[in-house]
Amino acid sequence: MSAVLRRLLVYFLAAWVAITVSFLLPRVVPGNPVAGAVARASQSGNCNAQCVIAVEEQLGFNVHTSLWDQYVQYMGNLAHGNLGQSWSENAPVSNLILSYLPWTLGLLVVSTTISFFGGTALGIWMAWRRGSWFEWVLPAATFFQALPYFFLALVLVLIFGQTGTMLKWFPSLFGYDIYVVDPGPNWPYITSVLSHAILPAATVVLSSIAGFILSMRNQMVTTMDEDFVLVAAAKGLPTRTVIWYAARNALLPVVSNFTIAISLVVAGQILVEIVFNYPGIGFHLFDALSKLDYSLVQGIFVVITLVVLGANLLADVAYVLIDPRARQAA
Amino acid sequence: MTIDSTALTQAPLAGPTPKSMLPKVGLRLPRSPKVIAGLALLAPFAVVAVIGRWISPYSPNATDPQHWVQHVLVPGTGPGTGITANYYPLPLPPSAEHWLGTTVFAQDVLSQVLTSTQATLFVGLIAAVIATVLSILFGVTAGYFGGNADEVLSLISNVFLAIPGLPLLIVLADYVPSAGSSILLVAFIIAVTAWAYSSRVLRAQTLSLRNRDFVEAARVTGEGRFRIILAEILPNLVPIVAASFLFTTLYAIYAYVAISFLGLGGSPTSSPPGLWNWGEMLREGFANNAIRGGWWWWWAPPGLCVALLGTGLALVNFGIDEFINPRLRVAGLTRKAAKKAGITSHATLGMTPVVGNRPAVPSLAARSQNVGDAVLEIHGLSVDYGYGDDAVHAVVDCDLVLRRGRVLGLAGESGSGKSTLALAAIRLLRSPAVITGGQVLFHSKPIGGDGPRGTIDMLASDKEELRSVRWSEISVVLQSSMNALNPVITIGAQFDDLLRVHRPKLSRSARVERSGELLDMVGINADRLRSYPHELSGGMRQRAMIAIALALEPQVMILDEPTTALDVVTQREILEELIGLRDRLGFAALFITHDLSLLVELADEIAVMYAGRLMERAPAASLFNAPRLPYTHGLIHCFPPMHGKRERMQGIPGSPPDLNDLPKGCAFHPRCAWAMEQCRHDVPQLAPVNGSAREVACWLHRGDAKVPAELARPDPGVAEVHA
Repeated sequence: MSAVLRRLLVYFLAAWVAITVSFLLPRVVPGNPVAGAVARASQSGNCNAQCVIAVEEQLGFNVHTSLWDQYVQYMGNLAHGNLGQSWSENAPVSNLILSYLPWTLGLLVVSTTISFFGGTALGIWMAWRRGSWFEWVLPAATFFQALPYFFLALVLVLIFGQTGTMLKWFPSLFGYDIYVVDPGPNWPYITSVLSHAILPAATVVLSSIAGFILSMRNQMVTTMDEDFVLVAAAKGLPTRTVIWYAARNALLPVVSNFTIAISLVVAGQILVEIVFNYPGIGFHLFDALSKLDYSLVQGIFVVITLVVLGANLLADVAYVLIDPRARQAA
Repeated sequence: MTIDSTALTQAPLAGPTPKSMLPKVGLRLPRSPKVIAGLALLAPFAVVAVIGRWISPYSPNATDPQHWVQHVLVPGTGPGTGITANYYPLPLPPSAEHWLGTTVFAQDVLSQVLTSTQATLFVGLIAAVIATVLSILFGVTAGYFGGNADEVLSLISNVFLAIPGLPLLIVLADYVPSAGSSILLVAFIIAVTAWAYSSRVLRAQTLSLRNRDFVEAARVTGEGRFRIILAEILPNLVPIVAASFLFTTLYAIYAYVAISFLGLGGSPTSSPPGLWNWGEMLREGFANNAIRGGWWWWWAPPGLCVALLGTGLALVNFGIDEFINPRLRVAGLTRKAAKKAGITSHATLGMTPVVGNRPAVPSLAARSQNVGDAVLEIHGLSVDYGYGDDAVHAVVDCDLVLRRGRVLGLAGESGSGKSTLALAAIRLLRSPAVITGGQVLFHSKPIGGDGPRGTIDMLASDKEELRSVRWSEISVVLQSSMNALNPVITIGAQFDDLLRVHRPKLSRSARVERSGELLDMVGINADRLRSYPHELSGGMRQRAMIAIALALEPQVMILDEPTTALDVVTQREILEELIGLRDRLGFAALFITHDLSLLVELADEIAVMYAGRLMERAPAASLFNAPRLPYTHGLIHCFPPMHGKRERMQGIPGSPPDLNDLPKGCAFHPRCAWAMEQCRHDVPQLAPVNGSAREVACWLHRGDAKVPAELARPDPGVAEVHA
């Protein structure tokens, strides 16, 4: 089986498992999840009669068809892009997710790009100037890496956010100023969106960059010990070429581990969105959870999985582009 | 929350690092400052996790109504909402009574932090145990059994790896409502989302272990599969398992804190009660406007606890990484130590630092006038690994002269310092190497191209001056051509980068043509320019490397065991080619090898090194047929000659000396059959034997010592040298 087909099979299976798990869980978990869910919801005052019916239907309770028939119907609907109906928003889940997704993807792409390229560049530099003053970044990076994303978000809000109590420099609530500007292609809206993205993006970058710095630094240190880097120096090539030779090889394991990195960034961003009430899928996942809107929860989970799988596929393509050995296996 | 560990991201280790001269291998895990710092951070948490319940001043749930001084309206109650106004007390900032202040419910924050430590830590540890067991089961089984089992198990772990962990965890935790009230249940759910990564790493490592000799041996002796896994494989996986255990602990703690922050862990005050943990504290603070209120004492301590615990785990993991991957460890040179040693330049690759106050080499001027046909002169060169008292003296006071168009052989066992000497001369040694003394002069008379002329002091040169002679005048061929060629670019590109930098006037097509010619010269079809290194055989790669080394018509080629990694037939072909090329192109070569018999056919002169010192130097035929040094005698008799009659091999008893702990006197005396009393005390210096052109550092040839018959054979080369 060629490497490409193998990867595609993994992604296909991963998507299938994610979808099936989210279908199966509410239906096979022992006890009566509906009663429990309704009890919890009414305790918080979030679930009305309409909610109870919706929850029952979502969880296959009081639905008198076999599990298999429900599954076939669920998969059939999915194939048509139908993720069900959200009772809390009273709208098709797929439409809702499409409206949330740009916020999440925008934030994710911008901050991951900054973090990946910035972190990698810093890691390369640190490895090259080993033993210099720059080494102090190492313990600092370790500490930053250990900060949970949402905790850093809280700290940044406290210090820089307008809902915090200190500097009040940047907006720290919502994706744009919902009281002042009208969404659409107008200048005030665009600047509002950008200024509202500063703190969430800074949080994601600061939390994730340390990981990229450390892994690139370690890979680079290891690669610089290879003979071909020594030969590049012996060849009298300019320093930047020597560094590039080492860096391109050191990048290979970093790129192949992008899978786990991107999962962690996505997970972190979900929590960051919640802290900032940022209108992406992470915040709405949280919202849907508290409203027991299970079809929305399931839909968002499936879409997040697909986004992560997509990012993995991109990383695979990048890997093949920079490693001729993988290119031939592909 | 990104977690990284090179131990986990590295390609499986292929045995000990070859050829690296790591002087300090004795660094054990617990002594690493990182591990100590990490353990120091972790220890208080471990203690509090156990006794936290009993040392907390209050119950985490107890409210302290006496201090309800000021009140705030609960959002969504009071006038205009139709709900009776409901008030929270204003939380108290840290005070003597409440060291970390109180929550908005007038609960003691310190007590909550202390109580929370237990659940948080235990969930992390238990989840890590479960995940590690799962990953060993899946990873080791897949790696060891291979075939279909591997296909299926790897597929499962790759699928789990591709599904984003936290979202899956959220869905799982959400549908298991009582999850929050049971440490075991939470830990299990987290473990299910966390095992796949370690499993993949363990599989790769097991795969590489499976084919090692000791495992093969166990298999041949008929040990059962599970016994082999338990007794042979698992012990070798311990560092990796440890690294992935810490990694998973960290991940599990983050995951638990995250789902609690989302409110999926259950509230400690609801029914069934959830457990107090740091995530729950953060959730309560966030949900009750602690940010807006500026009540940092409420939510900052649990967040900092997570960060400190995470830092501690990461530091210990660094230690394990450095244990697994020694390359990360040999940083060696701190700035302070460098300054103390008088080194101003920074130690970068290709710029081996030279100690500023190194002893002057006497009579340099006199020597320079007698340069004659010398092209590379090395005088009194000394090289240390590391600084100060810990330094290992890898090369001590060595003199060598390479003459134009000649081949100088440099022989010795591995670790004798021969490569160190050669690479130090051209400033290519890596950190922590430091050149502590001597002088290296390169007398340049370019054969082709436009390289610099005249004498260049290699140890005093700056980066630009070194670059001007590198490769264009002095090129290097290293032992393993697989590693010497950049694996991700074509052979052609590795000619091209060189020509572009050193021959800027050549057009692109001229560069390609020249590269083709060069490949052709070493017997490789020019088509191969488009190939990648992995597409060539070992012999072809080494030929390509030699072609690259000749590309700029250098005056000197340093060949560092260029044929050692090849089979005997290829070795012979390449050597013959090298001799032919040398005759045609007229470069001088410094040929480093541990195989003296190779040098006899190739070299004009041979120098033998032992424990960092030159011990014997003579014309090739003289040295080979009539060695004067006991060590040389041993070297000659431990390699079968390529031609000639069969002889009984003797070899040298004992093993090469530890440079950290050299014997007193002559370093070779413990292994020497003819060692005398003087050999145990005084270091012999290299000096002429009986006024001839050859030199030896051995007390047997000094004074009235009786020279053994083996070391006094008639010298066939003396007459030739004198003539």
